[in-house]
Amino acid sequence: MKCEELLQYLSDYIDQELDEELAAEAQEHLATCHNCRVLLDTTQQTIFLFREQGKRTIPAERRQRLFGQLQAAFLSEKDEG
Amino acid sequence: MFDEQELLAALRRHDSDAFTILFETYSDKIYRLAVGLLENELEAEGIVQETFLRFFERIDQFEGRSKVSTWLYRVAYNASMDYLRRDKPHLSIELADEDDALPMPAIFSDWSQWPEGLLSDAEVTAELDKAIAALPEKYRAIFLLREIEGLSTRETAHVTEISISAVKVRLHRARLILRERLAESFSARIGDYAGHG
Repeated sequence: MKCEELLQYLSDYIDQELDEELAAEAQEHLATCHNCRVLLDTTQQTIFLFREQGKRTIPAERRQRLFGQLQAAFLSEKDEG
Repeated sequence: MFDEQELLAALRRHDSDAFTILFETYSDKIYRLAVGLLENELEAEGIVQETFLRFFERIDQFEGRSKVSTWLYRVAYNASMDYLRRDKPHLSIELADEDDALPMPAIFSDWSQWPEGLLSDAEVTAELDKAIAALPEKYRAIFLLREIEGLSTRETAHVTEISISAVKVRLHRARLILRERLAESFSARIGDYAGHG
């Protein structure tokens, strides 16, 4: 496998969606190609960082207000029902 | 964990506890998607409201063929795209993927091996925020749904109404672009650090 092919298959490799033969070829290439190894490691680290950082929530004050507004709308439909 | 069919039945009875479960389970997820797409907390709050109100209107017709989460994400995604189109008529989301070349990596410094604490949490967060904000909308949407919200490829395709192969192509491109941006910005910061070393 060449670097260009590894680049093309990188996401499938990370997501374990390559067939056995291609996965083996990718692993063989990664064992000997420094740049591709770095590409894999830094892509995986990128994903990890975004997953860790991405868990934001609605700010507390807004959350309370939103809850109240939506609850009122939800219960008013019951009364109209 | 709750049974989704039981929750839907309780919501149809306008059970107050069921509403609380619905809100607690899904409001942050919808908010995260919307704020990621719109980069505006106030507008994202509006999307949450609109999404839940639409769900209340349709709850009696909701047949449960898709999961509640998928349905909510889809409404939130479409509402967010409608909002973005008002400002940007030629949104990248409309452009065909074939027009895009695969991003070629140029930076091969292995920042994944740098010691922990080399960059502060605030510095890392700032770079992540910059990188994702710079991502074209069509890649950002897929990345948010797959990586942050944890939807499967199939669920993401259902939410965004594109093919599974298109989801995979866009996710791959998003990952490469973000990796490159972080490599560039982290290397620059560490270059400053080394200069003071």
